[in-house]
Amino acid sequence: MNFGLSEQQEMLKKMARDFLATECPKSLVKQMVSNERGYPLELWDKMADLGWIGLAFPEKYGGTGGSFLDLAVLLEEMGRACLPGPFFCTVVLSGMTIIEMGSENQKQELLPKIAQGKLIVTLALTEPGGSYNIDKVTVKAVADGNDYIISGTKLFVPYAHVADYIICAAKTTNGVTLFLVDTKNPGIRYTLLKTIDGDKQFDVVFNKVKVSKKNILGKEGQGNIQLREVLRKAAVAKCIEMVGGAQPVLEMTVDYVKDRKQFGVPVGSFQAIQHHCANMLTDIDTSRFISYKAAWKISEKLPYATEAAMAKAWVSDAYKRVTKLGHQSIGGVSLMEDHDMPLYSKRAKAAELMLGDADFHREILAQELRL
Amino acid sequence: MNFGFTLEEEKLRQEVHDFLRKEVAPELIAEVVEYSGGAGPVHGRRIIQKMGARGWLCPTWPKEYGGINSSEMVGFIIRDEMTYAGAPVSLVGATMAGPTILRLGSDELKKEYLPRIARGEIEMALGYTEPQAGSDLAALELRAEDMTEAQATDKGEVEAEDKGDYFLLNGQKMFNTHAHFADYHWLGARTDPTTPKRHRGISLMIVDLKSRGITIRNMTTIAGWKTNEVFYDNVKVPKRNLVGEKNKGFYYIMTALDFERMFPVGSFRRIFDELIEYTKETKRDGKLLSQDLVIRQKLAEMAIELELSSLLYYQLAYILDKGEVPNYQSSMQKMFATETAHRLADIATQIIGPLGQLQSGSRWAPLHGEAELHYRWGFIETVYAGTSEIMRNIIALRGLGLPLPLG
Repeated sequence: MNFGLSEQQEMLKKMARDFLATECPKSLVKQMVSNERGYPLELWDKMADLGWIGLAFPEKYGGTGGSFLDLAVLLEEMGRACLPGPFFCTVVLSGMTIIEMGSENQKQELLPKIAQGKLIVTLALTEPGGSYNIDKVTVKAVADGNDYIISGTKLFVPYAHVADYIICAAKTTNGVTLFLVDTKNPGIRYTLLKTIDGDKQFDVVFNKVKVSKKNILGKEGQGNIQLREVLRKAAVAKCIEMVGGAQPVLEMTVDYVKDRKQFGVPVGSFQAIQHHCANMLTDIDTSRFISYKAAWKISEKLPYATEAAMAKAWVSDAYKRVTKLGHQSIGGVSLMEDHDMPLYSKRAKAAELMLGDADFHREILAQELRL
Repeated sequence: MNFGFTLEEEKLRQEVHDFLRKEVAPELIAEVVEYSGGAGPVHGRRIIQKMGARGWLCPTWPKEYGGINSSEMVGFIIRDEMTYAGAPVSLVGATMAGPTILRLGSDELKKEYLPRIARGEIEMALGYTEPQAGSDLAALELRAEDMTEAQATDKGEVEAEDKGDYFLLNGQKMFNTHAHFADYHWLGARTDPTTPKRHRGISLMIVDLKSRGITIRNMTTIAGWKTNEVFYDNVKVPKRNLVGEKNKGFYYIMTALDFERMFPVGSFRRIFDELIEYTKETKRDGKLLSQDLVIRQKLAEMAIELELSSLLYYQLAYILDKGEVPNYQSSMQKMFATETAHRLADIATQIIGPLGQLQSGSRWAPLHGEAELHYRWGFIETVYAGTSEIMRNIIALRGLGLPLPLG
């Protein structure tokens, strides 16, 4: 066993941390909540120039051919920086879907442009029913000659307002099917959802949106089965990002309690605070190990369904616990919007609810255990 | 990163697994339980000697002392398999005292004790805790007086053959598990009562438990097995039994805990496996337990925590194999794994329902009464070798550099 990163990964990690510390300070993150686009274009272009967007895309599609573990290193730093923008939806939710399910033509058409930062793609999956059960998709796609007509409402579609394409899971007569929908289509209407995190998630209404058969991703009627695999990977990717967010919460907390005096002594000398901090570190270490174990298995092409479910079930709760204990330890000042803590505690909740929470993944795990 | 085992490691794991499957009989398991997880006098000694003969008892040691020069990872794998099978794994000589002798002991001590430990011939009992020295080990008082030959002669107590220098020991130890069936006491004693820094007056030594003046009195724990009070009344210990330097014992003990504080969860993986089978074949109110949504959630939760305990466990081997000493990680593993184990036993008794309170031996007891037994055992495991509270202190102080509490 080796719990450490490779030398190259360590370099990537350091570079990512330095870059994001300069280019994505917390002041920017907070500013972006009220910005309509939600992220600076220059930052997106710089990340494309660094090769981050195509890091884990195969070389023949304009990527660097990095492993999932390499991508994980980046995602952890992005979680630390609270990076705003369409990286996760473009690279993880959509990029991986296209790699796994796209035809050769689709891959050649889309992936190089995505890697260059010229194409933003997002995934429309969840519906007002609020389920992550892909089998239960209700948005309909009705065949009409060489086209399909898609109608229905999708929720929590990240960065739909800037996306060039939306991958929409809809039901045809043969079952769940994924459609690559051009956002210039006039039947698409989107409204920003007001969420805890203030990130850019949208309510997207498909009103008789016409999509060519050629724009089906993967096999018609098999979308649920194929997408399940992608969502599993995405859940692991999300966990890594969450680990990245939990770590600075602990660092902020430790720095503060060493310094802050009450009753004439640093509050960090109180055992109640020390035990909060010890519990935070335990949650973070365990979250990191299970998430990276899942990521490693993905990289090695080993079966990872068990670890993925374990990771999302554990980290969803652990990250939240870390933020709660952080607030408890730091106290009043951490409750102010200009402090960095609220960024993380809100993201922890949003991340928990994305791609299935702990209960959801424990049930998946129960199935993996053949219960 | 690599979270897998090498082929050789997998092969050895299988070999150990198969060996234990063949060797571990119900009588052995019963004896292990009776003797607090240690190697009891009959079946326990026999199996650890068989393992010792293969070099599996102290695999990381050099060949000359009975090891097979293996990595720490191999040692961790073997212990994991031993707990899974229900073999004795609480082995003070092999996993606690021995490694310290190997690091700090004189050549004479190494030659005298290590091969016998590695062959499973002798066992030791930890002699740290005293009535007033539990979590605060530096408060120990059992007195070891330096006796030179001249003083000894003056006292007129020394027998003819006792010409050499020795320590004269007086005082009391408490909760010294294994003392009633071990051969030696791995003892922390106060050699300098005058120093104001009480950590600096403690020495580590090996005492033959058959020495004259030692009285052992059993105490029965909540888990049914016995631990002991050990009384020292003018017990003479040859100075060559001193481990390392005099007055440095406290630091040796603390360092040793970083190396050795670990808790393999093999036995709990086995209980978990059995519990899963139980829920798949047991109906309550006409429905299989495994189909109950709450039970499914609880079992999934336990699967996760066992996996995490295991990851924390093997992380320790990874750190040791890098040539580093675990810092807070051993405390975290011990805390997390024992708390997980206790929770698992708790949840198992709940899932089993009213039958969950039945003890081993009852014809109605599911899982051979293991859930009930380990529920009792869990109270002990989360306390001994450092309470969960002390583990959290260590994580905070050493892992995070938080300031020491005042007072």
